[in-house]
Amino acid sequence: MTTMRKILFRPILAGAALAALLLPAVPASANAGATSATVPLRDAEKSPLVSTGWLEKNLDSPKLRIVEVSVDPGVYERGHIPGAHNAAWHTDLVETVSRDIAGPEKFAALARRLGVDRDTTVVLYGDNNNWFAAWGAWVFAQYGLVDTVKLLDGGRKKWEAEKRPLDTRTPEVAASTFAVAPASTSLRARFTDVLAVARKERDDKILDIRSPDEFAGKIIAPAGVPELAVRAGHIPGSVNVPWAKAVNPDGTLRSVEELKALYAEAGIDGTKPVITSCRIGERSSHSWFVLSRVLGYPARNYDGSWTEYGNAVGVPVVNLAGTVWGGK
Amino acid sequence: MTASAAVPAAAPAGAAFRAGLALSLAALLAGSAWHLSGEAGGSRLALSLVFGALFGFVLQRSRFCFLCVWRDFLDRGDPRGVLGILAALATGIAGYAVVFGAWLPDPSGTRLPPGAHIGPVGPALALAGLAFGAGMAVSGSCLSAHLYRLGEGSATAPFALLGSALGFVLGFLTWNPLYLAGIAEAPVVWLPRYLGYGGSLVAGLAVLGGGALWLLRRWPPPPPPSAAVTDPLHAVFVARWPTWLGGLAVGAIATLSYLRLGPLGVTAEIGGRSRQAASALGLLPERLEGLDGFRGCATALRDGLLTPNGLFVGGLVVASFAAALAAGQFQPARPGRGHVLRGLSGGLLLGWGAMTGLGCSIGTLLSGIMAGALSGWVFGIAMLVGITVTLHCGRSLRLLA
Repeated sequence: MTTMRKILFRPILAGAALAALLLPAVPASANAGATSATVPLRDAEKSPLVSTGWLEKNLDSPKLRIVEVSVDPGVYERGHIPGAHNAAWHTDLVETVSRDIAGPEKFAALARRLGVDRDTTVVLYGDNNNWFAAWGAWVFAQYGLVDTVKLLDGGRKKWEAEKRPLDTRTPEVAASTFAVAPASTSLRARFTDVLAVARKERDDKILDIRSPDEFAGKIIAPAGVPELAVRAGHIPGSVNVPWAKAVNPDGTLRSVEELKALYAEAGIDGTKPVITSCRIGERSSHSWFVLSRVLGYPARNYDGSWTEYGNAVGVPVVNLAGTVWGGK
Repeated sequence: MTASAAVPAAAPAGAAFRAGLALSLAALLAGSAWHLSGEAGGSRLALSLVFGALFGFVLQRSRFCFLCVWRDFLDRGDPRGVLGILAALATGIAGYAVVFGAWLPDPSGTRLPPGAHIGPVGPALALAGLAFGAGMAVSGSCLSAHLYRLGEGSATAPFALLGSALGFVLGFLTWNPLYLAGIAEAPVVWLPRYLGYGGSLVAGLAVLGGGALWLLRRWPPPPPPSAAVTDPLHAVFVARWPTWLGGLAVGAIATLSYLRLGPLGVTAEIGGRSRQAASALGLLPERLEGLDGFRGCATALRDGLLTPNGLFVGGLVVASFAAALAAGQFQPARPGRGHVLRGLSGGLLLGWGAMTGLGCSIGTLLSGIMAGALSGWVFGIAMLVGITVTLHCGRSLRLLA
């Protein structure tokens, strides 16, 4: 071997090692590790939750629509559950200008695009422990799609952890004829409802799912969050159970018994109507789903939440930290 | 191959050591990627490291440096480097169009493709491009080239990167007035919305093709100083790649990166960390109006030690170092006063331009043009003007070589 050959042979190895770098770029095998303990309770026809194992077996079911609602844009596009459609929470599910849920026309257009009829089973899932998927379920519920709408227990987190297959293709379905109908008012609490509770004119329970520091009024909102309020604290009559306490480390919801105990500790046992609230009304819909759909408690979500109530004029607030007003 | 781009002959002595070190670095990168991919949620981080390493390897091997190729053209009429940049843009435009078509079948609505670097177009963007180009001329490179030159042992690069961090802080300080004076109302123009994917693709390729035809009038370029080496291994690991080959690879990496992670960019980490440090020192305004709502190299505060862009940049530098070692092109130099001054002052302009333009020659120019963003073209043209004018003035005043 010449000297030049020796010089050149070694970089081959360097090149081979660089090529080895490509290994993580190869997608995981479609069936690797696709074994999970399924919970039959969560796969029954009437259950509000479906397991990852059940969903994978039923991916091709014609009366099933899988819809991803993720917090981060681009997550769906870079790989989603095969056959899943995408709903963008910040454009498809809201009226962008009037701070409201999607109106009747907009929601009907979305349902038609997704091929959803009133008898279609819809499975919603997303990132961040199904936070926005649950919010999607709450929006669907405003238009009468309640029992047919389920969450994938564990969401993207569990599906990915189990190395189940992902797809980047966008499915095409025939549009449905979903009729435009007004939104119901029964699952949505408004400012006047929570004010009535705060003034002890109504005997509902308010479940505030924000962090303990926000609830106590030590901070108005978490660092870096743009939506603020003039005052800190919580609505009188509220109890605090942070939303993520309902979730296991693997992203699944805790068992019914554990959930009942969790909320019973805060005095919520289903005997009184509950109003869920947070900062902008989205994480609280996760707790709304748990209370209303999983536990069967009478619950409404207050999407105005602290950014509406904490900015309102002439309403009582509770501030445990003694920093009601920012002025000195 | 120009004189300045000539490859130093790698002496046989020390070659084994260099190759062994390069191999160790490649193994370190591979091991790190493998380790990251096994962590919960680590596949994105692992992939960022891999793409960064591939990008660094390609940049170093093909001398993919916007300033160098533009200077080759201005000074010696050699069009090959600029043709390589055009090849990267053409490949990326085609690749992005394929991805866009799958993700957002109808571009005519109000939505933009997720994450694509499509920024506001206005005087501030042009000013950012001019400043960035001036910074390139003063410091001798754009930011991505400083990063790969860090791996080659450049004496200027560390100071240019430090200067760019300071430039970012300066950019944060001037952001609010510029935002209120024009950026807030500046249109975010995405060409496929008006031309469709086909029209945008044809228009983009026509402009690049027209530029290539104009450059080809300068053909043949000056003869290379040494005879071409035909050994393929030498061609890959020792000799400089032709820039068009690097360009094709950059376009492919940009497309794959967008498909799996996000658009290419090298300033998000520098900007994010600068913002964090300046915020901790109380140097920043209470709020940076509207900044985090724009597309581009996001400088939002970091919440973890390892971030995708941090690993991308780390992989770029380490792979460039490994590639330079294997090729015998790692030539560390002791920094002189000139290196420090040019690095810091040029870096300051680079940082300010990259912050105000929401990205650099990679994040705004390359990723923007590939995505069909008018902002990419405006930044790119302003950048070339900035380089040309600064080089001309600097040379007239005998301040720049």
